[in-house]
Order: sequence, then C-alpha cells, then structure tokens
Amino acid sequence: MRDKLILGRMIPTGSRVHELDPRAKITAMLLFAAALILSGGWAELAVLAVFSVIVLTATKIPLRTYLRALRPLRWLMLFVFLFQLFAGAGAGAAADSAAWTLGPVTLTAAGLSGALLAVSRMALLIVFTAMLTFTTTPSMLSRGIEGMIKPLSRKGSTGAERFSLMMRLALRFIPALLEESQTILKAQAARGADYEEMKIKEKARLLMSLLVPVTVGAFRRAEELTTSLEARGYRIGAPRTSYRRLSWSGADTFFTLLFVLLLAGTLTMRLML
Amino acid sequence: MSERETVIELKNVDYTYQAGSPFAAAALHDVNIRVRRGTLVGIAGGTGSGKSTLLQLVNGLLLPTGGSVSVLDHVLTPGMKKPRLNSLRRRVGLSFQFPEQHLFEDTVEKDLMFGPLNFGMPREEAQNRAAEALRAMRLDEALLKRHPLTLSGGQMRKAAIASVLAAGPEIVMLDEPTATLDSAARRELISLLERLCREEGRTILMVTHRVEELLHAADEWIVMHEGRAVFQGGPDELAGRAGELGGWGVAVPEQLRCWREWTSRLPQLSSLPMPRTAEEMAGAIERAVRGAGGSGGGPEREENLCATN
Ligand SMILES: Nc1ncnc2c1ncn2[C@@H]1O[C@H](COP(=O)(O)OP(=O)(O)OP(=O)(O)O)[C@@H](O)[C@H]1O
Ligand SMILES: [Mg+2]
Repeated sequence: MRDKLILGRMIPTGSRVHELDPRAKITAMLLFAAALILSGGWAELAVLAVFSVIVLTATKIPLRTYLRALRPLRWLMLFVFLFQLFAGAGAGAAADSAAWTLGPVTLTAAGLSGALLAVSRMALLIVFTAMLTFTTTPSMLSRGIEGMIKPLSRKGSTGAERFSLMMRLALRFIPALLEESQTILKAQAARGADYEEMKIKEKARLLMSLLVPVTVGAFRRAEELTTSLEARGYRIGAPRTSYRRLSWSGADTFFTLLFVLLLAGTLTMRLML
Repeated sequence: MSERETVIELKNVDYTYQAGSPFAAAALHDVNIRVRRGTLVGIAGGTGSGKSTLLQLVNGLLLPTGGSVSVLDHVLTPGMKKPRLNSLRRRVGLSFQFPEQHLFEDTVEKDLMFGPLNFGMPREEAQNRAAEALRAMRLDEALLKRHPLTLSGGQMRKAAIASVLAAGPEIVMLDEPTATLDSAARRELISLLERLCREEGRTILMVTHRVEELLHAADEWIVMHEGRAVFQGGPDELAGRAGELGGWGVAVPEQLRCWREWTSRLPQLSSLPMPRTAEEMAGAIERAVRGAGGSGGGPEREENLCATN
C-alpha cells in the first residue's frame, strides 16, 4: 500500500526548483491549472506539455518518477477516458463523421480525440501536482498557503494561522494513518489473514475491522500532539518566530512570470486558432 | 547440546524498504543466520538496527530483496511469485512491537480466536485455546469480554502475546515483548518462554533492549547493528565480546559487568564459563575464594553485589 504511494513526499535533489518560495510554486501551479482548463485543443496542449517537461527536468527528479506518480490513478484515468469516449460518441454521432461502429456503440474520430485530450489534461495536472509535492516539504507548502491567504483575511484574525496549522497536522497525519493501517494489516496477515490471499468479501470485513483501531489511534495521536504543542508553548494567535522565513527572490518572480506568460499564450492560441 | 535440525536459515539476506522507488531505505545487509529447533534465541541491537525487519522476513510478511530465507519447509527468495503463506504462518507466530497495532477486534476473546479460526480450528477449540492462552499469560478471564483498546498497556501487551500463543506455533517470535511490562511480569513472561522452549520444544526468538533480562535463559544471541548481524553465538561467547557491545549500541548487561569485575580480581575465575544466575555466580566466586585458601565472605555478600533485575 505505502510502497506504491509516492505522491505527497518530498524528494531532495537540491535543484533550483526546490529552493523557490512555496508561494511562487503554488501560484505557478494555479496558473498552470488555469491554462490547462482553458486550453482548447492539441496545439495548446502540446505547448503546455513541452513547457512542463522543461520544468520537470529542472527539478532533477527522473521523469520516470513522475510517471510512477500517475500509476495509482491509472484506473481513474481509464474511467475518464471511457466516459469521455462514450459521452462524446453520443454527441458526435448526431454530427455525422462516424468513424467505425461496434455493435450499438458508434465511435467517432472527434470523440476519440476529445477523450484522449481529457486524459492528457488530467495526466498533466497530476504530474504537475506531483512536481509541487516532490519539491516542497509539507510544512513549507502549508506555510506558503498561510502566507498567501493572510493578506486576504481580516487584520488581527487568526483564520490563516488556524487553517495552516490544520493543514500541517492533516499532512502529518495522513501518512501516519496509512502506515498504521498497514501495520495492522501485517499483524493480521501474521495471524493467518493475508489480505492478498483473500476473497473479496473477507477483504471487506477485514478493512472494516481496521476502522476502529485506526480511528482510536488517530484520536489518541491528535490528543498527544495537541498536548505536546501546548506543552511547548504553542498558542494560536500568539506572536511566534518562524524558524524558516519565507523570502521572495528574483527567481520567484521569474518563475511566476513564466507561468503568467504561459497562461496568456494559451489564451491567445485559443482565441486565434 | 546434540545437533538439532535447522528451522530458520537466512543466507546473504538483504532487505530494502520501498525498493526501486526514490524513497528506498536499506534495512538489512548480507545477513546470515541459522536457528536450530528448540532453542531460545535473544536478538539485541540499537534502535533502527533491523530487528523488527528481521522477524518480519522470517514469517514472510516481507520478502527478501536479496539472498534467501528458509523457514521450516518454505524458501523465500527475492521476486518470487508471492506464495500462499498461511501454512507457514500457522507454524510461525509473531507478536508485534506495538500491541495496539496488533489487537483490532471488539472483544479480547475474538482477538484471541482470530488466529486459530484463520488456521482452520473449529470454534470450540479456538475458544478453549483463547482461554488457555489467557491463563498462560496470567490474565483474568473476565478480560475476555472487554474491548482490547480499553486494557492497560501491560494487559494489552499480554493479550497480544496470548493471541499469538493461542494458535500454538512451533516458532514463537516476540518483538520487544517486555517493553511495557513491570519487572515481575517480565520475569514471568521469560519463565513462560523458557517453559515453552524446554518442555514443549518450541523455538523462541525474542527481541529485547535489555540483554540482562534474558541472559540467564537464552541459548543463543544475535546482535544486529546497522542492518548487519554482527554477532551470533552462545552467551559465553557474548560475554567474551562484552567490550564490543557498546559499539553495537547494546548496553552491557549488569551480570556481565559484574562477572568481568570478578574475573579481573580473581584470575582463577577467568577459565570458567559465565554463570547464568546470581546464585551460580555467588557459588563460583565462593569456590574460587575458598580454593585460594582465604576463608572469604559468605556467598550472601557476593549475591547482593551481583543482584540483577
Ligand atoms: N516501513 C518502512 N519504510 C521505510 N523504512 C523503514 C520502514 N520500517 C523500517 N524502516 C527502516 O529500516 C531500518 C530498520 O528498522 P527496524 O524497524 O527493523 O529497526 P529495529 O531494530 O526494530 O528498531 P527499534 O529497536 O527502534 O524497533 C530503520 O532504519 C528504519 O528506519
Ligand atoms: Mg523494532
């Protein structure tokens, strides 16, 4: 389970992208997502793809690793593909250009192209999210978000800080909970209930049985953690020195601008073509 | 000791967690170990030295990424098609390091019956086994109906061990079973393990941070250090290499320190094997002192000096 889940953990390679301000990377990510959504066809997508390969190469993380991040989501992507294919086929059939017929289903070249486009967009978005989490630690990520929503919230409000603490705790808990479930599954396998050797009904029962211990474990951990945060003098709204201040540099401006240009470019292509 | 058949053999075993991913973490390197039937083996080593990983390789929870693991009639090798391992796990029990990750049912009884039922025992027998295992761990039968997560730390630990014993495995592996027990319960557990080993011929592997608690009972020791098995041998051999223990992240047990002090003062002792218990040690010292001509202090004094656990 854990072995296959690589999304959401930082891979230190010391590249320039790693050192960028998390706010720049989050903004870039948002701009990239906007460009993806606004892109209309293969030409725009090709530009976006080339662009992301350049950024991915700059992270010094092998491209293979990014492809691996797609793996856990392959069934979802297949589903999106088929869904688009058949949903698109219905619309396409009316507008002629039927390419080939397979029983009651008619596939069109337009439908196929649309479905491929949808999956490619999805893949690019996942890969880009992976880029963000591979190059930024969870705590930097949440600090970045905190820094971005702070100017938006009322003066003196602790909303941003609360949100950031919540994010940080959640990001810390999810892997811990996964690990805990895995250990319990292992303990069950040791007593003769190997998940991988089971029928689907038994599997379901086993997974249900995890619910109580994992939830209890989560509450216990949360309680311990809040106590230890308090014991170490943490109080929401209290003035505190961040041990790693965010600092915006020229590189960050450059990086963000690159993505602004990308979005503008995509828009122009969309309008011109 | 007569030559007994080998039940566990690790040959050049490597293990890497998440092998092949960017998060690969090597845990074991070139481990060679051999355990004979009916021996009580202590496994010591600093934190992160690979003790828990080693136990999980032995019952096939983890497959080696290099070398081979032979346990009873199974051979586990890297990249093999995952074999059906229930027949192996019925015979090789493992109690995990953290009991709260081991117990999951809504009553202690169900938890104790989980293993026996999975291994195909009829309900009634499983129930008897559960009660029996509970008694062996000296827990009150009233606990059978309780929710496992409402037990105290020590009770939970004992229940987890009972859940392994209930299935009656030939090889019993325990990962730091004494960690949350008080000293009386610790001694009791170890004498139970000794009984299982001496009287019923079971093979016992026990991981511990406190070498002294098991020194009198273990036939053999394995010391892990940074993923390597740096030592495997009997207690006397371990005593002989006491000087290296610190470097392996293992605290030198009190008895060994005491015996070393005595042998450096009474050189006539140094040819003797290290006595296993306080009484034997006092006796050996008494004989040495008397034999040397001095009338010496009574054995009580030495016994107090060397009082352990
Ligand atoms: N699930 C895992 N994923 C990645 N690395 C792991 C995992 N489990 C253990 N390790 C690593 O493998 C090494 C050996 O771990 P192991 O749990 O076997 O040590 P141990 O000797 O049992 O330690 P302790 O005395 O603290 O229980 C450690 O460096 C640990 O960080
Ligand atoms: Mg361990």
